[in-house]
Amino acid sequence: MRVVIADDSLLVREGIASLLRRAGVDVVGEADDGEELQRVVDEHEPDVAIVDVRMPPTHTEEGLAAAREIRARHPGMGILILSQHVEVGIAMRALVESPEGLGYLLKERVTDLEDFAGTLRHVAAGGSALDPQVVARLLADPRGVGPLSTLTDRERQVLELVAEGRTNKAIAERLDVSQRAVTKHVTSIFAKLELPPGEDDHRRILAVLTYLRH
Amino acid sequence: MAWRRFSAPELSHGLWTGLWAALVAVVTIVVVQTLTADETPEGYRILFRLVGTAYVACGLIAWRRRPDSRSGLLMTATGFLLFLEPLLDRFGSLGDLTEDLWSITIIWLLLTMLSGGRLTSRVDKTLVGLFVLEFAIEALRLATGGAEDGALAGVEGLAVSIGCLGTAVAIGVRYARASAPRRRALLPSVAGIGALLLFAFAQGGELPIWFRWVAVLSLLAVPAGFLVGLLRSRLARGGLADLFRRLPTMRGEDLQPALARVLGDPTAEIVRGHPYPDDGRGAAVINEEATLVYDASLDDDPELIEAVVSAAAIALESRARLERIVTAGDDERRRLERNLHDGAQQRLVALAMQLRLVQHEIHTDPAAAQALVDSASKELALSLEELRELARGIHPAVLDHGLEPALHSLASQATVPTEVAYDAEGRLPEPIELAAYFVTSEALANVGKYARANSASVRVAHGDGALVVEIADDGIGGADAALGSGLRGLADRVEALDGRLRVVSPPGAGTVVRAELPCAS
Repeated sequence: MRVVIADDSLLVREGIASLLRRAGVDVVGEADDGEELQRVVDEHEPDVAIVDVRMPPTHTEEGLAAAREIRARHPGMGILILSQHVEVGIAMRALVESPEGLGYLLKERVTDLEDFAGTLRHVAAGGSALDPQVVARLLADPRGVGPLSTLTDRERQVLELVAEGRTNKAIAERLDVSQRAVTKHVTSIFAKLELPPGEDDHRRILAVLTYLRH
Repeated sequence: MAWRRFSAPELSHGLWTGLWAALVAVVTIVVVQTLTADETPEGYRILFRLVGTAYVACGLIAWRRRPDSRSGLLMTATGFLLFLEPLLDRFGSLGDLTEDLWSITIIWLLLTMLSGGRLTSRVDKTLVGLFVLEFAIEALRLATGGAEDGALAGVEGLAVSIGCLGTAVAIGVRYARASAPRRRALLPSVAGIGALLLFAFAQGGELPIWFRWVAVLSLLAVPAGFLVGLLRSRLARGGLADLFRRLPTMRGEDLQPALARVLGDPTAEIVRGHPYPDDGRGAAVINEEATLVYDASLDDDPELIEAVVSAAAIALESRARLERIVTAGDDERRRLERNLHDGAQQRLVALAMQLRLVQHEIHTDPAAAQALVDSASKELALSLEELRELARGIHPAVLDHGLEPALHSLASQATVPTEVAYDAEGRLPEPIELAAYFVTSEALANVGKYARANSASVRVAHGDGALVVEIADDGIGGADAALGSGLRGLADRVEALDGRLRVVSPPGAGTVVRAELPCAS
């Protein structure tokens, strides 16, 4: 798998690159701002572009603009947005705009190399991914009312994994249950939340996100 | 300060005293005349001779309160003119000629209550003109030998009747159309309607005695209306106490309605900037950024406007200060977040990755792992240094050892050689030390950024119940306390402690920042 990395911090960029190379990922290009990223992406046409949200000049959400630009010029390319903090608003906007082949993760997830590489492959294949911390924030229901409170603990676990963008197969592996059981839980969750049933994981994540946002 | 919209003769202290003295003299003469007369005049005549007293008294008060309006002058003049008849009675035709002069000024007064005594509309000018005409006819009649029953007398009476009726109608129509505060201002005019109607029908023929009583008494309604208006504005000022009491807890959007309520003017509003209302409304500047716009008739009560404007100024300033404090807090948090994000946090993320790499390399390539650990520990040391620096900005730990060493530490880090002269004993209250420290820190940072100075000094003195901190440099000067948000924030901090921050910075002659912090010696 071929990726490019954009991050204005050389330390972080090199760190990610070294780790990914170790995991057998082919890091074909690096960039330290949005413009540079476009050039590198145009030149190498990687499977996934790994983009830091904050880059020069304003250090706010240049990464999102860069992601949009990539999406427009290379529709099939996977994009993984990295962030230092959980910024639910940014994550939601990015995913709701076009969830296919898009991921949003905290930077420190890189250190769990196996999982990170898995997410990269998932995004490269057109899937969606959302950081568990974002999901946790979205699912936080301090008042304990509303349809979310009607879910069983198991269903809640499954919902979290669905919202992270995982496939039924991955969820089954993670929870050590059969795929059939996962399918049953998902159907039940979608029924309780009155969501239209979805097959693709990115359509499911979108449905869940749309639900959670309101 | 209300805009001055009218012009009238200045009422100096001398004139004011002189007019009161003149009133006392005139009343004395009239009373003595009446008492020493061969035959006692009828009661209504005595009353009529003294009606002028009420007009002069109220007129002088009104003139004093609204020096820019001619209404006070007109009322005073009407009062004195009312005395002409008893005073000049014995001079025959001169008395006859002038005895009705007051009718011109009173009509003028009643019609122009809202325009500060200025005849603005054609209706007003025509009506006053009718009474001038009557005066001219009277003069003509006297000049031609005083024919009592000529056609001229009929024209004269007709002019007065039409004039009185017209004035009454004009006032009535204006009252019906007026806003609440304008109606209050119109009160003396409305009170005069009764008198106008009576005088309109009193022309010609012998009148019953009761009618004369009522007519004379009705003249008193005008000053009475004025006094009622005065009383009401005193009452309105009672609302001020309530307003001031509520100010500290008032929310921004409640301020305007509260002011409008005290003013009794629902249209009163606070507008941005300093517009000059072209629709004839009154305007009073609140501060550099806002103006109170209100119904112009409220200018009749300048003290009320002034008090309400003060209340608004206090409320807006405390809100602005609150906003500045919140903004300063937000800016500070944003700065901290940026520093953390770009500094320590990035390094820690990178460190986590490096450690992960070490984990992989440690068995396969110990030399590479060694190098990684080496660079990781350097990164860690840098992160620690950055975090320490950040913490110092949040709360200067160096202050734990006292203000003096803290200031020396600041001076040693300044960009130009900085001398510290410290003259205060023992520890000071923490807020005072913090304020002194931050003032010095910000001032020295500004010296480094803008002053182009060769040297600077920090002087601290404690005495007379205040700690004085003075930071001076020999740079280019020209600093403006109003411009720098840093200095503004410092001023807020200092003023929160009831202190004062002053910046003296003439171009070319260095800058002195001086903070006085009240603090018992």
